[in-house]
Amino acid sequence: MVTPPPRTPYDDEHDGPLEEARAWGVVSYLLAGLLTFGGLGLLADHLLGTSWLVLVGLLTGVGLAFYLIWFRYGTP
Amino acid sequence: MNGTLNGNLNLIGYGLSAIGPGVGIGLIFAAYINGVARQPEARGMLQPIAFLGFALAEALALFGLVLAFVL
Amino acid sequence: MSALVLAAQGEGFTPPGKEDFWWPILGSDTSAWTLTRPAVMALLSVALLAWFLLAATRHRSIIPGKLQFVGEGAYGFVRESIGRDLIGSKDFLRFMPLLFTQFSVILLNNLFGIIPFVQYPTMSRYGFPVALAAITYFTFHAVGFRKKGFVGYFKDLVPPGLPGWIVPVIFVLEFVDKFITRPLTLSLRLFANMFAGHLLLLVFILGAEHMLLTGGPALKVAGVLSGVLAIVMTFFELLVEVLQAYIFTLLTALYIGGALAEEH
Repeated sequence: MVTPPPRTPYDDEHDGPLEEARAWGVVSYLLAGLLTFGGLGLLADHLLGTSWLVLVGLLTGVGLAFYLIWFRYGTP
Repeated sequence: MNGTLNGNLNLIGYGLSAIGPGVGIGLIFAAYINGVARQPEARGMLQPIAFLGFALAEALALFGLVLAFVL
Repeated sequence: MSALVLAAQGEGFTPPGKEDFWWPILGSDTSAWTLTRPAVMALLSVALLAWFLLAATRHRSIIPGKLQFVGEGAYGFVRESIGRDLIGSKDFLRFMPLLFTQFSVILLNNLFGIIPFVQYPTMSRYGFPVALAAITYFTFHAVGFRKKGFVGYFKDLVPPGLPGWIVPVIFVLEFVDKFITRPLTLSLRLFANMFAGHLLLLVFILGAEHMLLTGGPALKVAGVLSGVLAIVMTFFELLVEVLQAYIFTLLTALYIGGALAEEH
Protein backbone atom coordinates (compact mmCIF):
# COMPACT_ATOMS: atom_id res chain seq x y z
CA MET A 1 0.00 0.00 0.00
CA VAL A 2 1.45 3.38 -1.00
CA THR A 3 1.43 5.82 1.89
CA PRO A 4 -0.13 9.15 0.98
CA PRO A 5 2.14 12.20 0.95
CA PRO A 6 2.50 13.76 4.38
CA ARG A 7 0.20 16.67 5.04
CA THR A 8 0.53 19.46 7.51
CA PRO A 9 -2.25 19.60 10.07
CA TYR A 10 -3.62 22.84 8.72
CA ASP A 11 -3.69 22.62 4.96
CA ASP A 12 -7.21 23.64 4.21
CA GLU A 13 -7.32 24.29 0.53
CA HIS A 14 -10.79 22.84 0.57
CA ASP A 15 -12.98 23.83 3.44
CA GLY A 16 -15.42 20.99 3.36
CA PRO A 17 -16.15 17.61 1.84
CA LEU A 18 -14.52 16.52 -1.39
CA GLU A 19 -16.24 17.84 -4.47
CA GLU A 20 -16.74 14.39 -5.92
CA ALA A 21 -18.98 13.65 -2.98
CA ARG A 22 -21.68 15.67 -4.67
CA ALA A 23 -22.75 12.57 -6.55
CA TRP A 24 -24.20 11.16 -3.32
CA GLY A 25 -26.07 14.40 -2.77
CA VAL A 26 -27.57 14.15 -6.25
CA VAL A 27 -28.91 10.64 -5.70
CA SER A 28 -30.12 11.56 -2.24
CA TYR A 29 -32.01 14.66 -3.39
CA LEU A 30 -33.63 12.79 -6.27
CA LEU A 31 -34.78 10.00 -4.00
CA ALA A 32 -36.04 12.43 -1.38
CA GLY A 33 -38.00 14.39 -3.96
CA LEU A 34 -39.54 11.27 -5.43
CA LEU A 35 -40.45 9.89 -2.03
CA THR A 36 -41.97 13.03 -0.54
CA PHE A 37 -43.93 14.31 -3.43
CA GLY A 38 -44.80 10.88 -4.67
CA GLY A 39 -45.94 10.06 -1.18
CA LEU A 40 -48.01 13.22 -1.00
CA GLY A 41 -49.50 12.34 -4.36
CA LEU A 42 -50.28 8.84 -3.13
CA LEU A 43 -51.95 10.26 -0.03
CA ALA A 44 -53.99 12.68 -2.09
CA ASP A 45 -55.01 9.85 -4.40
CA HIS A 46 -56.13 7.78 -1.47
CA LEU A 47 -58.13 10.62 0.02
CA LEU A 48 -59.66 11.97 -3.15
CA GLY A 49 -60.11 8.73 -5.04
CA THR A 50 -58.30 9.81 -8.19
CA SER A 51 -55.59 7.74 -9.80
CA TRP A 52 -53.26 10.17 -11.52
CA LEU A 53 -52.18 12.39 -8.63
CA VAL A 54 -49.36 9.98 -7.85
CA LEU A 55 -47.80 10.69 -11.21
CA VAL A 56 -48.20 14.43 -10.78
CA GLY A 57 -46.57 14.14 -7.38
CA LEU A 58 -43.66 12.10 -8.71
CA LEU A 59 -43.03 14.51 -11.58
CA THR A 60 -43.21 17.50 -9.24
CA GLY A 61 -40.73 15.82 -6.93
CA VAL A 62 -38.33 15.10 -9.77
CA GLY A 63 -38.67 18.64 -11.06
CA LEU A 64 -38.00 20.20 -7.67
CA ALA A 65 -35.07 17.89 -7.10
CA PHE A 66 -33.64 18.93 -10.47
CA TYR A 67 -34.03 22.57 -9.54
CA LEU A 68 -32.29 22.10 -6.23
CA ILE A 69 -29.49 20.07 -7.78
CA TRP A 70 -28.97 22.67 -10.49
CA PHE A 71 -28.97 25.42 -7.92
CA ARG A 72 -26.54 23.77 -5.54
CA TYR A 73 -24.24 21.86 -7.84
CA GLY A 74 -24.84 23.02 -11.38
CA THR A 75 -23.96 26.69 -11.17
CA PRO A 76 -20.39 27.24 -10.01
CA MET B 1 -39.02 -30.51 -12.67
CA ASN B 2 -42.27 -28.68 -12.83
CA GLY B 3 -42.77 -25.42 -11.15
CA THR B 4 -44.64 -22.19 -11.15
CA LEU B 5 -43.19 -18.75 -11.51
CA ASN B 6 -44.42 -16.22 -9.01
CA GLY B 7 -43.59 -12.62 -9.15
CA ASN B 8 -44.46 -9.34 -10.58
CA LEU B 9 -44.02 -8.09 -14.08
CA ASN B 10 -43.01 -4.76 -12.54
CA LEU B 11 -39.65 -6.15 -11.65
CA ILE B 12 -38.86 -7.31 -15.17
CA GLY B 13 -39.87 -3.88 -16.41
CA TYR B 14 -37.64 -2.21 -13.84
CA GLY B 15 -34.73 -4.45 -14.70
CA LEU B 16 -35.00 -3.66 -18.39
CA SER B 17 -35.40 0.04 -17.78
CA ALA B 18 -32.29 0.19 -15.62
CA ILE B 19 -30.07 -0.68 -18.60
CA GLY B 20 -30.47 2.78 -20.12
CA PRO B 21 -29.41 4.92 -17.17
CA GLY B 22 -26.55 2.54 -16.44
CA VAL B 23 -25.10 3.00 -19.90
CA GLY B 24 -25.85 6.72 -19.83
CA ILE B 25 -24.07 7.37 -16.56
CA GLY B 26 -21.10 5.38 -17.74
CA LEU B 27 -20.89 7.50 -20.88
CA ILE B 28 -21.20 10.74 -18.94
CA PHE B 29 -18.42 9.95 -16.55
CA ALA B 30 -16.26 8.47 -19.30
CA ALA B 31 -16.47 11.82 -21.08
CA TYR B 32 -15.69 13.64 -17.83
CA ILE B 33 -12.64 11.49 -17.17
CA ASN B 34 -11.48 11.98 -20.75
CA GLY B 35 -11.85 15.73 -20.50
CA VAL B 36 -10.00 15.96 -17.19
CA ALA B 37 -7.27 13.64 -18.46
CA ARG B 38 -6.63 15.76 -21.51
CA GLN B 39 -6.68 19.04 -19.62
CA PRO B 40 -6.57 18.87 -15.83
CA GLU B 41 -7.20 22.59 -15.48
CA ALA B 42 -10.67 22.13 -16.94
CA ARG B 43 -11.76 20.08 -13.95
CA GLY B 44 -13.61 22.88 -12.20
CA MET B 45 -15.50 23.77 -15.35
CA LEU B 46 -16.46 20.25 -16.29
CA GLN B 47 -17.58 19.12 -12.87
CA PRO B 48 -20.94 20.95 -12.68
CA ILE B 49 -21.82 19.73 -16.15
CA ALA B 50 -20.94 16.17 -15.24
CA PHE B 51 -23.10 16.24 -12.14
CA LEU B 52 -26.03 17.80 -13.96
CA GLY B 53 -25.88 15.07 -16.58
CA PHE B 54 -25.58 12.45 -13.86
CA ALA B 55 -28.66 13.85 -12.11
CA LEU B 56 -30.73 13.67 -15.28
CA ALA B 57 -29.74 10.09 -16.04
CA GLU B 58 -30.12 8.93 -12.45
CA ALA B 59 -33.57 10.47 -12.25
CA LEU B 60 -34.81 8.03 -14.84
CA ALA B 61 -33.35 5.09 -12.96
CA LEU B 62 -34.89 6.15 -9.66
CA PHE B 63 -38.16 6.93 -11.38
CA GLY B 64 -38.27 3.37 -12.66
CA LEU B 65 -37.48 2.01 -9.22
CA VAL B 66 -40.22 4.00 -7.51
CA LEU B 67 -42.79 3.19 -10.16
CA ALA B 68 -42.00 -0.51 -9.84
CA PHE B 69 -43.20 -0.27 -6.26
CA VAL B 70 -46.08 2.14 -6.73
CA LEU B 71 -47.81 0.51 -9.65
CA MET C 1 -32.95 -27.16 -21.55
CA SER C 2 -36.00 -28.74 -23.07
CA ALA C 3 -39.02 -29.20 -20.93
CA LEU C 4 -38.88 -32.93 -21.57
CA VAL C 5 -35.46 -33.29 -20.01
CA LEU C 6 -36.40 -31.18 -17.06
CA ALA C 7 -39.71 -32.88 -16.42
CA ALA C 8 -38.22 -36.33 -16.51
CA GLN C 9 -36.11 -36.16 -13.40
CA GLY C 10 -35.66 -34.52 -10.05
CA GLU C 11 -38.30 -33.74 -7.51
CA GLY C 12 -39.23 -30.35 -6.20
CA PHE C 13 -36.52 -27.84 -5.44
CA THR C 14 -37.51 -25.06 -3.10
CA PRO C 15 -35.52 -21.99 -4.08
CA PRO C 16 -33.81 -20.20 -1.19
CA GLY C 17 -35.75 -17.30 0.23
CA LYS C 18 -35.85 -15.10 3.21
CA GLU C 19 -36.71 -17.95 5.53
CA ASP C 20 -33.19 -19.24 4.99
CA PHE C 21 -31.88 -16.32 7.00
CA TRP C 22 -33.76 -17.22 10.17
CA TRP C 23 -31.42 -19.27 12.28
CA PRO C 24 -32.54 -19.41 15.90
CA ILE C 25 -30.21 -20.88 18.46
CA LEU C 26 -31.98 -20.40 21.73
CA GLY C 27 -35.65 -19.77 22.07
CA SER C 28 -38.87 -20.26 20.22
CA ASP C 29 -39.44 -19.64 16.57
CA THR C 30 -41.77 -16.69 16.85
CA SER C 31 -40.61 -14.68 19.83
CA ALA C 32 -38.69 -11.47 19.29
CA TRP C 33 -36.15 -12.38 21.93
CA THR C 34 -34.77 -15.62 20.53
CA LEU C 35 -31.03 -15.72 20.30
CA THR C 36 -30.23 -16.10 16.64
CA ARG C 37 -27.01 -17.04 14.90
CA PRO C 38 -26.21 -13.55 13.53
CA ALA C 39 -26.51 -12.11 17.04
CA VAL C 40 -23.93 -14.55 18.37
CA MET C 41 -21.75 -13.89 15.34
CA ALA C 42 -21.90 -10.14 15.85
CA LEU C 43 -20.80 -10.53 19.46
CA LEU C 44 -17.99 -12.84 18.40
CA SER C 45 -16.91 -10.35 15.73
CA VAL C 46 -16.56 -7.61 18.33
CA ALA C 47 -14.48 -9.91 20.53
CA LEU C 48 -12.34 -10.87 17.52
CA LEU C 49 -11.77 -7.24 16.57
CA ALA C 50 -10.84 -6.32 20.12
CA TRP C 51 -8.34 -9.16 20.27
CA PHE C 52 -6.86 -8.21 16.89
CA LEU C 53 -6.44 -4.54 17.73
CA LEU C 54 -4.97 -5.26 21.13
CA ALA C 55 -2.53 -7.71 19.61
CA ALA C 56 -1.59 -5.27 16.86
CA THR C 57 -0.73 -2.48 19.28
CA ARG C 58 0.86 -4.50 22.03
CA HIS C 59 4.50 -4.21 20.99
CA ARG C 60 4.53 -0.83 19.32
CA SER C 61 7.74 -0.08 17.53
CA ILE C 62 8.88 2.29 14.82
CA ILE C 63 9.56 -0.59 12.49
CA PRO C 64 6.24 -2.44 12.59
CA GLY C 65 5.85 -6.14 12.88
CA LYS C 66 3.29 -7.92 10.75
CA LEU C 67 0.19 -7.45 12.90
CA GLN C 68 1.05 -3.86 13.61
CA PHE C 69 1.53 -3.21 9.89
CA VAL C 70 -1.92 -4.55 9.03
CA GLY C 71 -3.57 -2.64 11.84
CA GLU C 72 -1.75 0.57 10.93
CA GLY C 73 -2.60 0.10 7.28
CA ALA C 74 -6.31 -0.21 7.94
CA TYR C 75 -6.37 2.67 10.39
CA GLY C 76 -4.27 4.87 8.13
CA PHE C 77 -6.53 4.19 5.20
CA VAL C 78 -9.68 5.18 7.10
CA ARG C 79 -7.99 8.17 8.66
CA GLU C 80 -6.40 9.67 5.56
CA SER C 81 -8.67 8.90 2.67
CA ILE C 82 -11.97 9.04 4.53
CA GLY C 83 -11.54 11.12 7.65
CA ARG C 84 -9.16 13.86 6.57
CA ASP C 85 -10.50 14.23 3.06
CA LEU C 86 -14.13 14.48 3.96
CA ILE C 87 -14.26 16.14 7.35
CA GLY C 88 -11.30 18.45 6.88
CA SER C 89 -7.99 18.59 8.63
CA LYS C 90 -9.23 20.64 11.54
CA ASP C 91 -11.57 18.43 13.46
CA PHE C 92 -11.54 15.01 11.93
CA LEU C 93 -9.65 13.44 14.80
CA ARG C 94 -12.69 13.66 17.04
CA PHE C 95 -14.60 11.33 14.77
CA MET C 96 -11.88 8.84 13.96
CA PRO C 97 -12.95 6.33 16.62
CA LEU C 98 -16.47 6.27 15.19
CA LEU C 99 -15.30 5.94 11.59
CA PHE C 100 -12.73 3.27 12.25
CA THR C 101 -15.13 1.29 14.39
CA GLN C 102 -17.82 1.37 11.75
CA PHE C 103 -15.42 0.40 9.00
CA SER C 104 -13.87 -2.51 10.83
CA VAL C 105 -17.12 -3.85 12.28
CA ILE C 106 -18.91 -3.75 8.94
CA LEU C 107 -15.93 -5.23 7.12
CA LEU C 108 -15.52 -8.13 9.51
CA ASN C 109 -19.22 -8.90 9.64
CA ASN C 110 -19.44 -8.74 5.87
CA LEU C 111 -16.45 -11.02 5.46
CA PHE C 112 -18.27 -13.59 7.56
CA GLY C 113 -20.40 -14.07 4.49
CA ILE C 114 -17.67 -15.79 2.54
CA ILE C 115 -15.34 -17.24 5.16
CA PRO C 116 -15.71 -21.03 4.92
CA PHE C 117 -17.71 -22.75 7.66
CA VAL C 118 -19.18 -19.41 8.73
CA GLN C 119 -20.80 -18.14 5.55
CA TYR C 120 -23.52 -15.91 6.93
CA PRO C 121 -23.21 -12.13 6.62
CA THR C 122 -24.68 -10.71 9.79
CA MET C 123 -25.52 -7.48 8.02
CA SER C 124 -28.15 -9.35 6.04
CA ARG C 125 -30.52 -9.06 8.99
CA TYR C 126 -31.96 -5.60 8.79
CA GLY C 127 -31.57 -4.76 12.45
CA PHE C 128 -27.78 -4.49 12.31
CA PRO C 129 -27.48 -1.88 9.54
CA VAL C 130 -30.34 0.03 11.15
CA ALA C 131 -28.42 0.27 14.41
CA LEU C 132 -25.26 1.47 12.64
CA ALA C 133 -27.16 3.98 10.53
CA ALA C 134 -28.95 5.26 13.64
CA ILE C 135 -25.58 6.01 15.23
CA THR C 136 -24.55 7.96 12.13
CA TYR C 137 -27.92 9.74 12.04
CA PHE C 138 -27.77 10.97 15.60
CA THR C 139 -24.11 11.89 15.31
CA PHE C 140 -24.32 14.11 12.30
CA HIS C 141 -27.47 15.87 13.45
CA ALA C 142 -26.03 16.42 16.91
CA VAL C 143 -22.87 17.86 15.38
CA GLY C 144 -24.92 20.22 13.23
CA PHE C 145 -27.12 21.32 16.10
CA ARG C 146 -24.13 21.96 18.30
CA LYS C 147 -22.36 23.97 15.65
CA LYS C 148 -25.17 26.13 14.34
CA GLY C 149 -27.77 26.14 17.07
CA PHE C 150 -31.17 24.58 16.84
CA VAL C 151 -32.89 27.19 14.67
CA GLY C 152 -29.77 28.06 12.72
CA TYR C 153 -29.39 24.48 11.57
CA PHE C 154 -32.84 24.47 10.04
CA LYS C 155 -32.27 27.86 8.48
CA ASP C 156 -29.11 26.54 6.89
CA LEU C 157 -30.95 23.71 5.19
CA VAL C 158 -32.06 25.95 2.35
CA PRO C 159 -29.26 27.35 0.18
CA PRO C 160 -29.19 31.13 -0.01
CA GLY C 161 -30.20 33.03 -3.06
CA LEU C 162 -33.37 31.19 -3.93
CA PRO C 163 -36.45 33.11 -5.05
CA GLY C 164 -38.64 33.57 -2.04
CA TRP C 165 -41.75 31.79 -3.18
CA ILE C 166 -40.02 28.46 -3.64
CA VAL C 167 -38.22 28.37 -0.30
CA PRO C 168 -40.95 26.47 1.64
CA VAL C 169 -41.08 23.66 -0.92
CA ILE C 170 -37.31 23.39 -1.06
CA PHE C 171 -37.26 23.35 2.73
CA VAL C 172 -39.62 20.37 2.73
CA LEU C 173 -37.42 18.62 0.17
CA GLU C 174 -34.23 19.26 2.13
CA PHE C 175 -35.84 18.27 5.41
CA VAL C 176 -37.04 14.95 4.01
CA ASP C 177 -33.64 14.42 2.45
CA LYS C 178 -31.65 14.96 5.61
CA PHE C 179 -33.98 13.43 8.17
CA ILE C 180 -35.63 10.57 6.29
CA THR C 181 -33.89 9.63 3.07
CA ARG C 182 -30.33 9.66 4.35
CA PRO C 183 -30.68 7.14 7.19
CA LEU C 184 -33.06 5.06 5.13
CA THR C 185 -30.75 4.71 2.16
CA LEU C 186 -27.70 4.25 4.35
CA SER C 187 -29.12 1.24 6.15
CA LEU C 188 -31.00 -0.10 3.15
CA ARG C 189 -27.95 0.00 0.88
CA LEU C 190 -25.86 -2.13 3.24
CA PHE C 191 -28.70 -4.51 4.01
CA ALA C 192 -29.80 -5.01 0.41
CA ASN C 193 -26.29 -5.64 -0.86
CA MET C 194 -25.57 -8.23 1.81
CA PHE C 195 -28.98 -9.90 1.54
CA ALA C 196 -28.90 -10.12 -2.22
CA GLY C 197 -25.31 -11.33 -2.30
CA HIS C 198 -25.97 -14.10 0.16
CA LEU C 199 -29.15 -15.12 -1.65
CA LEU C 200 -27.24 -15.24 -4.92
CA LEU C 201 -24.61 -17.52 -3.46
CA LEU C 202 -27.31 -19.72 -1.95
CA VAL C 203 -29.08 -20.07 -5.28
CA PHE C 204 -25.95 -21.08 -7.12
CA ILE C 205 -24.64 -23.46 -4.48
CA LEU C 206 -27.92 -25.14 -3.56
CA GLY C 207 -28.88 -25.32 -7.21
CA ALA C 208 -25.56 -26.93 -8.06
CA GLU C 209 -25.97 -29.47 -5.29
CA HIS C 210 -29.52 -30.32 -6.28
CA MET C 211 -28.73 -30.58 -9.96
CA LEU C 212 -25.67 -32.72 -9.39
CA LEU C 213 -27.38 -35.14 -7.05
CA THR C 214 -30.79 -35.56 -8.63
CA GLY C 215 -30.38 -34.82 -12.27
CA GLY C 216 -29.82 -36.53 -15.54
CA PRO C 217 -26.61 -36.01 -17.51
CA ALA C 218 -27.66 -32.67 -18.95
CA LEU C 219 -28.51 -31.32 -15.53
CA LYS C 220 -25.28 -32.61 -14.07
CA VAL C 221 -23.33 -30.50 -16.55
CA ALA C 222 -25.47 -27.54 -15.58
CA GLY C 223 -24.74 -28.32 -11.96
CA VAL C 224 -21.00 -28.18 -12.55
CA LEU C 225 -21.40 -24.87 -14.37
CA SER C 226 -23.46 -23.58 -11.50
CA GLY C 227 -20.72 -24.58 -9.09
CA VAL C 228 -18.09 -22.74 -11.13
CA LEU C 229 -20.31 -19.69 -11.18
CA ALA C 230 -20.69 -19.94 -7.42
CA ILE C 231 -16.92 -19.64 -7.08
CA VAL C 232 -16.85 -16.61 -9.38
CA MET C 233 -19.68 -15.00 -7.44
CA THR C 234 -17.80 -15.57 -4.20
CA PHE C 235 -14.99 -13.36 -5.43
CA PHE C 236 -17.47 -10.79 -6.65
CA GLU C 237 -19.11 -10.94 -3.24
CA LEU C 238 -15.75 -10.21 -1.62
CA LEU C 239 -15.44 -7.06 -3.71
CA VAL C 240 -18.97 -5.98 -2.87
CA GLU C 241 -18.45 -6.56 0.84
CA VAL C 242 -15.31 -4.46 1.08
CA LEU C 243 -16.89 -1.79 -1.08
CA GLN C 244 -20.02 -1.60 1.07
CA ALA C 245 -17.99 -1.19 4.24
CA TYR C 246 -16.02 1.59 2.57
CA ILE C 247 -19.12 3.34 1.25
CA PHE C 248 -20.88 3.25 4.62
CA THR C 249 -17.90 4.83 6.35
CA LEU C 250 -17.47 7.31 3.50
CA LEU C 251 -21.05 8.47 3.77
CA THR C 252 -20.84 8.80 7.54
CA ALA C 253 -17.79 11.00 7.17
CA LEU C 254 -19.47 12.95 4.37
CA TYR C 255 -22.55 13.67 6.45
CA ILE C 256 -20.49 14.74 9.43
CA GLY C 257 -18.31 16.91 7.22
CA GLY C 258 -21.38 18.44 5.61
CA ALA C 259 -22.86 19.26 9.00
CA LEU C 260 -19.61 20.92 10.04
CA ALA C 261 -19.19 22.87 6.83
CA GLU C 262 -18.92 26.59 7.16
CA GLU C 263 -20.44 27.70 3.91
CA HIS C 264 -23.96 29.12 3.73
